[in-house]
Parts: sequence; structure tokens; C-alpha cells
Amino acid sequence: MFSRQTIIAFIALVLLAALGLYVGTYTIYLLNLAMIAVIAAVGLNLLTGNSGQISLSHSSFMAIGAYVSALLSARYGVPFWAAIPTAAAVAALIGAALGFPASRLHGIYLALATLGFLQIVQIVIEEFADITGGVRGMRVPKPAWFGAMLLNEYEIFLVVAVSCVFAVWSATNILASSYGRDMNAVRLSPHAAQALGVAVARVKLGAFALSAVYAGVAGGLLAMVVGFIDPIEFGVSAALRQITYIVVGGMGSVAGSVIGAVVLSGLPEVLRPVREYSDVIYTGILLAFLLFMPHGLVSIWDAARLSLRRALARSFAK
Amino acid sequence: MTATLAFQLAIAGISVGSIYALVALAVVIPFKASGVLNFGQGEMVTAGAYIALVLTTLALPYAVVFLLVVLVGAIGGIVIERALIRPIIRAPEFTVVIATFAIGLLIKGAIQLRFGDSPAAIDGPFGMDPLLVAGLRFNPTSVWIFVCMLLVTFAVIAFFKYTRLGKAMRAVSINAEAARLMGIRVESVWRWAWGISTAIGAVAGLLVAPVIGVNPEIGTLILRGLVAAVIGGFTSVPGAIIGGLAVGLIETFSGVIVGSTFKNLVPFIILMLLLVFRPYGLFGVAVAKRV
Repeated sequence: MFSRQTIIAFIALVLLAALGLYVGTYTIYLLNLAMIAVIAAVGLNLLTGNSGQISLSHSSFMAIGAYVSALLSARYGVPFWAAIPTAAAVAALIGAALGFPASRLHGIYLALATLGFLQIVQIVIEEFADITGGVRGMRVPKPAWFGAMLLNEYEIFLVVAVSCVFAVWSATNILASSYGRDMNAVRLSPHAAQALGVAVARVKLGAFALSAVYAGVAGGLLAMVVGFIDPIEFGVSAALRQITYIVVGGMGSVAGSVIGAVVLSGLPEVLRPVREYSDVIYTGILLAFLLFMPHGLVSIWDAARLSLRRALARSFAK
Repeated sequence: MTATLAFQLAIAGISVGSIYALVALAVVIPFKASGVLNFGQGEMVTAGAYIALVLTTLALPYAVVFLLVVLVGAIGGIVIERALIRPIIRAPEFTVVIATFAIGLLIKGAIQLRFGDSPAAIDGPFGMDPLLVAGLRFNPTSVWIFVCMLLVTFAVIAFFKYTRLGKAMRAVSINAEAARLMGIRVESVWRWAWGISTAIGAVAGLLVAPVIGVNPEIGTLILRGLVAAVIGGFTSVPGAIIGGLAVGLIETFSGVIVGSTFKNLVPFIILMLLLVFRPYGLFGVAVAKRV
């Protein structure tokens, strides 16, 4: 009755929920950040890894999600379950608006346009300080179910876990759909895709809007979990961090997004003793993967599976 | 706006625009030669400022500092090109874009580890006392920046026009494979394109350091430099210079006209509009591609 993906998603959710009961506050916080990183990475990978569109402004859509949901709950008392989807919808609209010009650009011109967009978002947040708190940041009220009924720590964790599992599940299904095949076709050869009847510009535009939804949700959850947002959190280095997730994990693979985001958001904990080197190490990892392992960590798994299958085939042939 | 104010703003705009022009030039040269846009070029500027800082504390004369900055900048670029760019030059554009970004961040990270985040001051060669000419105030450092920019520009134009290597570079930028068949060593052209561009970037750092101080964030100049390069059309040397000056002038004048809140937004709005309507710049030529 249920597809394999759906069953796996349920099992993952139950395991996560159980895990959340047995670990301490700090671990829950780290798990939350890792799952938010997964949501953002999944969205970016659909756009960059599958549709082949360079984006240096993924963190800006996180910023839009974070600020819209934070402002909705701080100013109008909107509960999180309405604020975050609204923020994601706003992010999607702005993503489509950016996708409109961006779908005409490619390569470095697209990189430049998205970099310009990132700067515009940063400057707008910094300059409209009466609304956003500017460079000093803004406090985000604690999330509530209704009015004064606040979520406790475990409930927040569950919300993030459900969102994360849903993000992974939905991305897997999108990639298995005809739209997912269109996205891959646009990356591999826009001209061939066009010739075969794929509406290339529309697919690119959709990919921008779709990835913005994931980023918007991730941003809204981040604001809720951390309780404080400032523009630096969503700058160029954040955009590069998300690109690092998908490069290290594996471009164009949902599993790659998950692996990259989890491994790399755990890294600061491992690097704690050499904290001042962590930026350099992070960038070094990105560069090393680009140079030596451009298909990311999932390629190890794929290669292992392939050689296993070959070994099996050989033993059966005997 | 009085004429004096307008003149004064124009002087300020041309001074800051000269720096943007140099950064744009440094971006355009390797792009022309190898199709690689160096998003890490801003950190080459930062590196130039720090090299100047270190050499100045050794009490070397300014001319020696200048030459050493050029030399170290060029060597740095040649090393980066050989070690990091050439292995991925045929990789997808995404890889190259992100790699240049990462190289920039690595340099910035290394500088922050060595020197920390606190800014340091460095003196220009002519001090900061303004010169008064016909009622207008000229900051000698600004004049020096403008003169250096002009010298670099003419040197680059002459290089492309008269030297063997410059001609080879032009040939490679038109068609690398045909150039290779004509016996031009394409790899050597890439190497020198990077060396020249990082040397120009480092000089920009040396020049801007007395104005904005030596700090790890100098590299954000690259954003204005990129806008300048887009205005100039990405492959044209005079275009990059005019683009740089235009960004400088637009920035200083828009500060007065639309207020400081929107001043910072203006270059990026121009960037977006240009990318949408004229992606090959005001001076570039659209490339027709046969598929």
C-alpha cells in the first residue's frame, strides 16, 4: 500500500523521535541544526545538483524564511505552524521572481546574478533596521502552538524532525517524477532537453522556486530553534557552507545532501579543540573534494555497490 | 548641488572607482585568456595590502615595497593557477566558480589566523594633507591611486598590443585550440594571465590600504569590481576601466542623491538589470554560439 520511500521515511521518523527522548539538551540542539542543514542542502541540491543551476544565494532564501516567520510571530503573534509555511511561500515567490531572469542566464553570469541578489538581501536586512534589527540582529519569540501555549524542547525537536524527514521524502519523490527527470535533462543538455519537448525555462524557474521553499522552511526552523537571527548568519559564507554540504555529500543525490549536511554540521564539534582553524579546514575540505572527489561521499557507496554487484554476478556465473 | 560639491564628489568617485577599475581589470584578464572568472580575486587584493603592511614595517622604501608587492602577487597567482586551477580547468563551470571562491576564502582564513581581525593602518607615499588647486581639495593619495590606475591600464593595453605574449593571449582568448595548433603554448598564456592579474590585484591592495586600512574584509571590494566588469562587458580592458570609474561615481553621487540607505543597493541593482538586459555589458559583444 505504501511505497518503499514512505515506509523508510516512517521508520526514520520513529527512530529520530526515539533518539530525541534519550539524548540531552545540547545534543538535541545539535541534531536540530543538523536536520535544518539537511533541509537546506536538499533544496540546494535539487537546484544545483539536479537542474545544474549555480546558486550563490541559497542562504538568502533561508534569510527570507527566517525573517518573515520571525516577524510574523513577533509582531502579529502568528503560531509557528502558520508562520513557517507562509515564510516558505514568500520565499518561493521571491525565488520565482529571481528565477525569471536567472533562467535566461548560465554559468558565471548566473553566479554573478545570484551573488548580486545575495548582496541585495543582505543590504536590505542591514538597512531596514527598525524592522529587522539590522546588523545587531533580532530576537525570535519562543514558538507557540496557540497564544501562550509554548512548545517544549522535545516538541520543537519533533517539528524539526518531521520537517526534515518530509523534506527528504518529498525530494526523493520529486526526483522520481517526470519533473525530476526534466531537471536532470536540463542539467545534462539544455539543448537536447528543449528538442525533446522539455520546457527548459519553466523547469529552471520551478527549480528556483522549489529550492527556495526548502530554504525558506530551513530558515524559519533555524529562527525558531536558535531564537536569534542576524544577517551574518545568511551571508556569502553561509551560501558557501551549503554548497560544501552538497559537494562533499554528492551532487544531484538526496542521500548525498543528507550525508554532506550531517557530516559537516557535526564537524565544528569535532574541530572544537582547533576552533580558530575551522574556517580554513572547512574551505580546505570543499577545495579538496572539488579537486579530488567531485562526485562526493556517495560515490564511495556507489562504487562499493557496483563492485559488490560485479562480484556477485561473477560468482553466479561460475 | 553646487558645482564645487559636484567636482568634489567626482574626485572622490574617480579615486574609489580607480580601485574598482583595477579589481575589474584583474578579473577580466584571466577570464579573457582562460574563461575562468576568479571570484577569489578580492582576497588577492587583501593579500597585497598585507604584503605591503609587512614590508612597510621592515622600513623598506615605498618604491621597493611597490615592486615586491607586484612580484609576490605575480608569483602567488602563478602558483595558484598551476596547483589549483589547471587541474580543474576542464571541469564543469560550477566546480571552477566554487573553487575560485574557496581559494579566496582560504587566503582570507590564513590572513585572519596570522594577523587577526583588527585593522592596521599604513601610510600612503604622499601623506594625507589635501592639496588645494583652484579651490578644490585633492587628496594626494587619491591622485596617486588614479595615476597608478592609468599607468597599469596603459601598460596592459600596450602589453596586449605590442608584446608576443600579449598577442598570444589575445589569440588564445579568441580560440584556444586554434592558437595551440599555431604553436602557442596555451598553458603558458594561462600562467601569465593569472600572474599579471594577481599582481594587479595586489597593487590595488597596496594602493587602497592607506585609504581604508589593512583588514581581512578588504576582499569585499571584489563585489564592486565584478559589477564594474559586468558594466564593461567582461572581456574588454577599456570597458573594465570605464566600468570601475562608473561604479565609483555612481556610488558617491547616489549617496548624495538617494541617501546612504540606498547607496549600497544601487550597484547591485544595476548589476541585476545589466545581467538581465545586457549580459555582455555596455561595451562587450554578444557571443553567438553554434550548437
